[in-house]
Amino acid sequence: MADTTHHSLGAQTERTAAGADKPHSAGEANTTVRYRGGGFRTHSIFWVGPVVFVVLIAVWEWGTQTGFISNLTLPKPSDVLGTFGELWRTGTLFEHLIPSLTRFAVGSAMGCLAGVIIGVMIGLFSHVRAGLVPVVAAIFPIPKIALLPLFIIWFGIGEGSKYALIALGTFTPMVVATYGAVDNVDRTLIRMGQSFSLSWASIVRKIVLPGAMPGIFSGLRVSLAIGIILLVAAEMLGARRGIGAYILEAGSLYDLERLFAGVIILSALGVVVNFVLGLIEDRVLRWRS
Amino acid sequence: MDLRVDALSHRYGNLEVLSDISLDIPAGQVVSIIGPSGCGKSTLLRFIGGLERPSEGQIIQRGQPPEGSLNPLTYVFQDFALLPWRTVAGNIALVLEDHGLGSARQDEIITNVLARTKLSEFRDALPKQLSGGMKQRVAIARALAVNPAVMLMDEPLSALDSQTRELLMDDLIDLWARERFTAVYVTHNLAEAVRLGHQIVVLSRRPGKIREIITIETPLDARRRSDPELASIEERLWSVMRDEAQAADLELVDG
Repeated sequence: MADTTHHSLGAQTERTAAGADKPHSAGEANTTVRYRGGGFRTHSIFWVGPVVFVVLIAVWEWGTQTGFISNLTLPKPSDVLGTFGELWRTGTLFEHLIPSLTRFAVGSAMGCLAGVIIGVMIGLFSHVRAGLVPVVAAIFPIPKIALLPLFIIWFGIGEGSKYALIALGTFTPMVVATYGAVDNVDRTLIRMGQSFSLSWASIVRKIVLPGAMPGIFSGLRVSLAIGIILLVAAEMLGARRGIGAYILEAGSLYDLERLFAGVIILSALGVVVNFVLGLIEDRVLRWRS
Repeated sequence: MDLRVDALSHRYGNLEVLSDISLDIPAGQVVSIIGPSGCGKSTLLRFIGGLERPSEGQIIQRGQPPEGSLNPLTYVFQDFALLPWRTVAGNIALVLEDHGLGSARQDEIITNVLARTKLSEFRDALPKQLSGGMKQRVAIARALAVNPAVMLMDEPLSALDSQTRELLMDDLIDLWARERFTAVYVTHNLAEAVRLGHQIVVLSRRPGKIREIITIETPLDARRRSDPELASIEERLWSVMRDEAQAADLELVDG
């Protein structure tokens, strides 16, 4: 140990001596190796998001206050907030929100549940796959809003047609995500199950379904976002109550404050759905590394 | 219960992978199968346990599996094959649940096998919390839980680092000394084959044929790492395998 120390001291002395010849030179041997790793790793910075929001809204408010932004193009954020207060006080908020949430919940629950069931069947049975994958591929690209008139004829102008529209819209992406997830379940786990002579039902219930869960959850994220879009579309085309109807009415009256209030509710709905899904996912998929 | 591999051959299309393999697996012994990569040793193991069907030949079971054997032919896989969403105890429960043992009996078996593999304190851990060696111990505990007649081990130590491998090898030898289980142990590692095998079956490169069967008389628990006799057997095996391995290495992988 002492020997090593001595040696390195000696080296240092030499270097100083060399440095004395060329003062201020960085020395020939000693450059630190530049760090160049790190890859493209992302890391979460929790405060940037809120700050960006606050800055955007502050600029917007300042612009509309000073007249830099014409109030024909954008309402004042403070006025939009005022509209919210009014919505809350008069109870109009819930008058529109409750029917919308009900439609969203019922429609997407039906669509997603059916999607998961059909998706699992496609994943498990070759005949079902051969028969249904082309059908799903044919339905998937149809803009579902185009089918609303048809659904109104089939299910009536009331809630039925709206449920059907949201259900169909969430169904197709859910099917595709689910059978993809079933296909991606680790085959070695299934072979393990067979090697222990587990019953077919046990393998499906205890290995295939839990293994497909991560894929099913990412499918849910996409499907529910589509559900919100279709909810608004359905309400714009035929409803007296609901966020979509509220936005349409505000738009036709050129009431920008109310229009923005409506849009913000939708955006908040999307954020809340994503957040709740994230919480469930964290619990259900705790096993993921 | 003894097993016999009887004149087994296998082809994938025109490609012959195994050719006329006949082999005895007597009860209470560990049979190591070694061979160069791609010689079909893992395939052979899948035939022995009925996970795949050979083109020709058959696997014969002589005698009855022991009383209370829930899954007579039980695999231990190279990549552990644990369910990541189940705890250690849950992974073992998985293979018992279908047998309708009742929760008390099931719990008793789990406690027992965890104690035998020194895993008792990890009962509620998830696989992601365990090291590779621990995961393979869980897989071995799971195999023991069904009280197998023959353990079919497919390169069980190959995914582990060399130190863990040594430790787990010692554990396997201890376990064999206590339980005298029957096993077919597929590996490409000569040292493992020699330490753990009563018989060592050397397969040639594709199509896999039996090149040689070596019997080692020294009891498993008396074998030491530095044993000169084992070293000379290992040396001899390597001289048999060397050319095969080299030739196998130079082969193009078939498209």
